[in-house]
Amino acid sequence: MKVLLVGSGGREHALAKLIRRSTQEPRIFVAMDYRNPGLEREAVETGGEPYIASTIDPEAIAKVAEEISPDLIVVGPEEPQFHGVTDTLREKGFIVFGASMKCSEIEKSKVYARSLMWKHSIDGRLYFKAFKDIEEAKKFIEFAGDVVIKPARQAGGKGVKVLRDTQAYLARDRHVVKKSYIEKLFAEMEGYRDIDYKILVEQRVEGVEYTAMVVTDGSTFLQLPLVQDHPHAFEFDIGPETGGMGSIQGPGWILPFINFDEYKKTMEIVSNVLKALMAEVGEPYVGAFAGQMMLTGVWGPTVIEFYSRFGDPEISNMVPIVVSDFLDVLDRAASRRLAGAKLEIDEEAVTLVKAVAPAGYPGNKKIASGHPVYIDEARIKELGCEPLYASIEMSVDGKLYTKGSRIIEIVCRGGSYEEVYKKSELAVKNVYSLDGHPLFHRRDIGSTELLADRIRVAEKVRVVYRSRAANGLLGKIFVWIPGEGVFDNPLIGFIR
Amino acid sequence: MSGLLAVYAFDELWNLSNIVRYGLMALQHRGSQQYLICIPHNDVKCIDGENIEVSNSAIGHVVVAATFSDRNDSTFYVDSRNGKSVAVVAEKAWSKIYEFTQQLLNEMNKSSNSLEAFKSTISLFLQDSAEFIPSLHVLTNSREVIVWRSFYGLTPLVLGSYGFDMAIVSSESTAVDILGGDVRRFLDPGGGLYISRYLAKSFKLGKPFNQGLCLFELLYLARHDAVVDGVSVYEFRKLLGVELAKNLDKDVDLVVGVPETALPYAIGFAQRIGKPFELAFAATGGKRRSMLLGDPFEKIVAIHLKMNPVKSVLEGRRVALVDDSMVTGSTMKTISQILRFRVGVKELHIFIASPPLISVCPFNVVKLDVQNLLAANLSSELAKNYLEADSLYWLSKEDVDSVASRYGLKLCGRCFGIDFFGR
Repeated sequence: MKVLLVGSGGREHALAKLIRRSTQEPRIFVAMDYRNPGLEREAVETGGEPYIASTIDPEAIAKVAEEISPDLIVVGPEEPQFHGVTDTLREKGFIVFGASMKCSEIEKSKVYARSLMWKHSIDGRLYFKAFKDIEEAKKFIEFAGDVVIKPARQAGGKGVKVLRDTQAYLARDRHVVKKSYIEKLFAEMEGYRDIDYKILVEQRVEGVEYTAMVVTDGSTFLQLPLVQDHPHAFEFDIGPETGGMGSIQGPGWILPFINFDEYKKTMEIVSNVLKALMAEVGEPYVGAFAGQMMLTGVWGPTVIEFYSRFGDPEISNMVPIVVSDFLDVLDRAASRRLAGAKLEIDEEAVTLVKAVAPAGYPGNKKIASGHPVYIDEARIKELGCEPLYASIEMSVDGKLYTKGSRIIEIVCRGGSYEEVYKKSELAVKNVYSLDGHPLFHRRDIGSTELLADRIRVAEKVRVVYRSRAANGLLGKIFVWIPGEGVFDNPLIGFIR
Repeated sequence: MSGLLAVYAFDELWNLSNIVRYGLMALQHRGSQQYLICIPHNDVKCIDGENIEVSNSAIGHVVVAATFSDRNDSTFYVDSRNGKSVAVVAEKAWSKIYEFTQQLLNEMNKSSNSLEAFKSTISLFLQDSAEFIPSLHVLTNSREVIVWRSFYGLTPLVLGSYGFDMAIVSSESTAVDILGGDVRRFLDPGGGLYISRYLAKSFKLGKPFNQGLCLFELLYLARHDAVVDGVSVYEFRKLLGVELAKNLDKDVDLVVGVPETALPYAIGFAQRIGKPFELAFAATGGKRRSMLLGDPFEKIVAIHLKMNPVKSVLEGRRVALVDDSMVTGSTMKTISQILRFRVGVKELHIFIASPPLISVCPFNVVKLDVQNLLAANLSSELAKNYLEADSLYWLSKEDVDSVASRYGLKLCGRCFGIDFFGR
C-alpha cells in the first residue's frame, strides 16, 4: 500500500512509525518542507520516497500526489488544512485523512470554535469577546479583569497571555501589560490575511490540562487514550508557552488525575462539538480531532481549544502502545468505513515523551536556529525509547541542524511512571549540541513530584466543580454592578 | 533575618516596580530595617534604603530584591570587571561577600557561562574552608539571575510562577501568593535555579551538610499563611499548641495568645483543653515585629503599642497565656505587668511553645546574647517569680522532636541545646 504523508515534524514522524508497523506493508512517501532526517529514513526504509515541497501549497502537494498516486494520503499538520491542501487532494480523487478547510476552521479560528459552543449550548464553554479593531479591544480591556488574551487564529500554539487578576493592588500593572500586549498581538496578527478577528479575550480558568484525541470518519468517533502535555518551556511549570515540552500517558485510557466520569464527559463534549461542526459546515469531518481540555472548578471538563489534527507531542505517546493496525484505522476513517473499527492499546503501559529544544525557543527563533547537533540514536534505542525527529534539518554536509523549534521528541514506555521517568532521563542525555549552544528539556515531566502536584490540583478543582454542580452553577459566573444589575459575565474587572 | 526576592518577567512588557513593592511587603515581617533592589542596566545597579519606596527604582523586567532586619553593608556587593557586572545578595550579613564577588567575577571572566562560574566559585570557597556560605541571589548585567539555597538550609527558598510570564523566587511562599503566583517548588539545601531570558534550569551543588531548617523559621519568623518546605506554618503552630496543652494540670477559664505569632498556638491549646480562646490584646499603629528590633527602647515601644488589653475578657479570670518562645523575657514581663496591674487577672499560667533557649545561634540566624537569655540565667523558680506567673511551662525537646518527626522535618535546635529536632 502506498501512503503519502504530508508534514515535516515530530507528529508526522510519530505517524510514520505507527503506519509502517501495518501488515499492509506500506511504502511511505513523505512531502515535507525540509529534510527531516527521521521522515526521510522512514520513507527510504519502507521503499517509499521523500519529497521536499511546500506543505501549505495545494498545487505543489497535488503534484507530488499525482506523481506517486498513493492509496492513502495522511495530512498531519493544521496549516495545510487551513490552506486547502486536503480539499484539493480530495477534489482530485485521492483518499485523504485530514480535516477539510471548512472543518479545520474549528482550530484556525478560536472565535469560530467558541461561538459554535455557545450557539449549540455545549458544556465546557468559556466566556469570551473577540476583536477586529485594536481601539475597541483597548477600550474593552480598560475594564476587563481576570482574563486570558489570545490570538484569534491558531499561531503555532503560542501567543497566549494568562493574566490572573484577582489582586486589585496589582490590577493597574496588569492593565498596562494587557494594553501593550494587545498592541503587540494586533501587530503580529496583521500578517494573517485569512481571518477577520484578530484577538480574543477570554475568561481565565485554572486546573489541570489534558488532551482528548479522536479519529473520525464523520459518523464514528474512535477515542484515543488521554494525554497530558506540558506547555511551559522550563522546569516546574515556569516560563513562556511552547508547543509542548513533553507529555505523559497512562496507564490505560485515563490519566492518574482524571477519573472515568470526567473522561466520559470529555468525550461527550468532543463528540457534541464535532456533530455541531458538521451540521454547520454541511460536510463530514474526516481525520483527527482533539480537545485541549482543562479540568476546572467552573465546569469540570472545560474546553481551552481544539486541534483539527493529532496533538504534537501527544501523538508520540501512541507510538509504543498502539496494538491495532493504525494504518487500517486511518484508511478506514479516510474512506468513511470506520464503523466497527477498534483501537486496541497496551493498557498496562505508561508512556513519557520529552522534547529537547535549543535555547531561544520559543521566543527567539533566530537564536535557536542553525546549530549543529548530534543524536546518538543507538543509545536511545538501547533504552527501549524511540527518537522522533521534529524541527531538525539534514544539511547537504550530512549534519543535523536546529530549525528553531523543538528538535526531537523521545518517547519511552515502561510499567510505571518511576520506570519510564528514569529511562527517558537517560535517553535525553544522548542529544548533543556540537557548537556549545545550550539545549534544554524539562527534567520534571513525568516525575512523581509533578504527578502528585497534578493530582492535588485536580482534587481541589473537583471539590469546587462538584459543589457548583450541586448548586446548579456549572459554567455560571455572576457579577453584580450596583445600580446596573447582575450580569452573567466574568470578564468584568476591578477597574471601573 | 531577611527576606530575599527575585522576579523574572520573561516578557519585557512588564515594569516590576509595583510588583516588587508588594513582594517585599509580603516579606517585611522577616525584617524591614533595610530594603534593597538590584536591576540589570549597562552595569548591575543596586539601591538600598530604610524605606520600601526603594522599590520605585525596580523598573524593568528583571529584579533581585531583599529586606533585612538590620542595616548592614555586607548583605550585598556589586562590582564590574571587563564589561561583566554582578550583584551578589546574601540572606544575611556575610563578611566574605566582597571576596566571593571578586572570585565570581574572576570565574565569569574565564567562562562565558555564568552558572558554571557560580558553581566553581562555590566549590572554591568550600575548598578554602568549610565556612558557612549563606543562601545567595546573583544578578548579572546579561540579565541572568542565579538563586541558590545554602547547604545549611537554615532558611527556605521557594520557587513560584505567574502564568507564562514570570518566575518568582522568595524566602517565603507569602510573596508568591501576594503576587498572584503559584508555588511550584521548595528548593532543597544546595539546590538552585538559573534563570535567563531564554533558559531556566535547576541545579544542585554537592551534598547538603548535616543541617536542618532553623526551628525559628516555623516557630516565629514565617507568617502563619506561609508554607515552609511543604509544611503549613499554621498547622505546625497549632500542633505545638496541642502538645503544650498536655502540660496543663490546673484549671483555667480561658486561653489567650501573645499577638500575633502566638495566636495559632493558643488556638491549638484551647481546642485541646476545650476552653475558650479569646482575643486579649489590640494593637495600635500597625504591626511591628518586636523580636526583630535591635534597639531595646524601640523594642519596648513596639511591645507597648501592641498590647492594649481587652479588660472585660480577662479581669478576675484564670488565664493560660501562650507564646511561641521566650528569649529575654522582656515581652512576657511587660504583658504580665499589664495583666496583673492594669487588668487584674486572678491567675496567670504561662505556656511557651518551645524549649528553653540557652545558647547563642552558631550561624547567627537569630541574634542571641547568652547573658540576656532568660532561660540561660534564671532558675525556673526565679523566672516564674520575675514574671509574676502562677506557673511557667516550656515545651519539652521531646515534644518538638515528635511534632517535627510527624512532618518528616529535620530542624536545627542548636540554641535550644540540641543538634536537631525530628528525623
